[in-house]
Amino acid sequence: MTTTTTFTDVYMSPRLLAPGGTAADLATHELRYGPLSYGDPDGLLRTVAESGLTGRGGAAFPTYRKLVAVADASRRTGRAPVVVANGAEGEPASRKDKTLLRLSPHLVLDGLQLAARAVGAGEAHLAVEDGASYLESALSQRNDPLDVKVIRLPKRFLSGQASALAQYVSGNAPLPRHQHPPVRERGVRKAPTLVQNVETLAHLALVARYGADWFRSAGTPNQPGSTLCTLHVPGREVRVVEAPFGLPLDRLLPLQGMSAVLVGGYHGTWISATEAAQRTLDAGNLGAGVLAALPTTRCGVAETARVLRYLALQSAGQCGPCLNGLPRIASAFRTLATPGPQFNTRQDVARWSGLIEGRGACHHPDGTVRLVRSALTTFATELDAHARGLCTATDPTPLLPIPNEAH
Amino acid sequence: MSSETLWYANRATGAVCLVLFTVVVLLGIAVRLRTRLPGLPRFGTVNLHRTLSLSATAFLALHIAVAVIDGYVNITVLDAVVPFVSDYQPLWLGLGTVALDLLLAVLITSLLRERIGHRTWRAVHWLAYASWPIALIHGIGIGTDTGTDWMTWLTVSCVATVVAAFAIRAAHSARAARRTPAALLRTAEGAHS
Repeated sequence: MTTTTTFTDVYMSPRLLAPGGTAADLATHELRYGPLSYGDPDGLLRTVAESGLTGRGGAAFPTYRKLVAVADASRRTGRAPVVVANGAEGEPASRKDKTLLRLSPHLVLDGLQLAARAVGAGEAHLAVEDGASYLESALSQRNDPLDVKVIRLPKRFLSGQASALAQYVSGNAPLPRHQHPPVRERGVRKAPTLVQNVETLAHLALVARYGADWFRSAGTPNQPGSTLCTLHVPGREVRVVEAPFGLPLDRLLPLQGMSAVLVGGYHGTWISATEAAQRTLDAGNLGAGVLAALPTTRCGVAETARVLRYLALQSAGQCGPCLNGLPRIASAFRTLATPGPQFNTRQDVARWSGLIEGRGACHHPDGTVRLVRSALTTFATELDAHARGLCTATDPTPLLPIPNEAH
Repeated sequence: MSSETLWYANRATGAVCLVLFTVVVLLGIAVRLRTRLPGLPRFGTVNLHRTLSLSATAFLALHIAVAVIDGYVNITVLDAVVPFVSDYQPLWLGLGTVALDLLLAVLITSLLRERIGHRTWRAVHWLAYASWPIALIHGIGIGTDTGTDWMTWLTVSCVATVVAAFAIRAAHSARAARRTPAALLRTAEGAHS
């Protein structure tokens, strides 16, 4: 069970997550946020544009532009768009979407209805990982203009990728497709499709209620608003917090005794603790909001090797560079994680990374390469130590969560 | 034109069709396996496959036209398109008709490939693997030259090359199906540790 925390020193009242960690039913939800008014679609689009809301699934794409693109594609093709709320959360280190859906399901469902209305959708789906049976009861309480179907996805890293999700909703295997034509033009059963992260939809529900200025009262002028983060601190429970953009990272994570921080999840970057002390929450590298602190007692190279092995196994196996490259890199990283002679392994990994980057239908190879490169720089001294046959870590127990890990 | 000339022309075009379509099938497999033919750039394989298949179709049209025009046996245009309805050799001629119909499906979908999409085209293109052996049996069954040394050797060598190429292609598919991320990771980890 994930705990949620309101940070009292963050100077921000919680927006998305119900305080106290209890799930909000429809009555509580309406009491807290007030009734939802739909207004006219153009007015809503204008408000979303002014709010500067961006996608919270990892890419931080401006929500307004995506809504307009889907509405335009629908006008061009004459087909009613499909809206999919993405709560798949294939990233094993992220818990924020599951937590949000459990605590504030109605906020997400409000946002889904609003988005559907803004683009004139004829179909709405809510995609989640297996389980989450409370969603049906939440849906049955509501009286929505558009019916929402709950889709349960197999638990895989790539299930939540927009084109994979669109394929699954269409009745095919959840595998990523080529990005051209994009899902916003040809997605679910070839209709223009809006795939929006559930947290983005929850923000949208609040923007529609309280307006753009209210939304911009948190965060920075360039990156307005707040975001949900999943915090991994060794020795503590995993926590989901809501924090405004621009908040210094050391307010979220204790950096004493830490050697590095993983920012943005398994497609993210490792940064050293000293660098983390100078960084703030930035949508540009936050990914889906995972922050994991690595204590000095653990080996960052070994942790990266575990993650890379998982990422290699999660490749859809459709594109040669990813299918052949990721297992190679993963096994080479295992060699690097073992103290002993390394020969040319480090150079090989760097070279292979350049060969697979940008050569997949989806961004799985690119995200993996990002993690690899950041590990090679951030853990350079540790890698040197390994080459001399030493490891500075004292605690070999695995740290980062990896599903079904075989030893 | 005398009936005898037409009869010779029919036998000749039949034999030429056998050779040409065999080469077309081989080239098709070569395209699938991304084979590079000596002296050609890689895209040359697919261009050659296309061009040669159209030439082979032209010879096939001649083969059918000659058979229909020839008055010695009664083969109508209908017999050439609808299988097993002819007076003359209904089974063996019918097989040729079936092969033609399959080939037409492959040909038309290939010409319309841009419009019908890759998946449909690909599904129909599999029919080529049925069309070739059916046409071959038609040739063996109906051919005036069946049993002559040169025809036997021609048939045997065509069958041998196509079977060999098909075996390579099947092995290739089987190997590709075994290449999963998990299998590759096992191999890589075996090589490194």
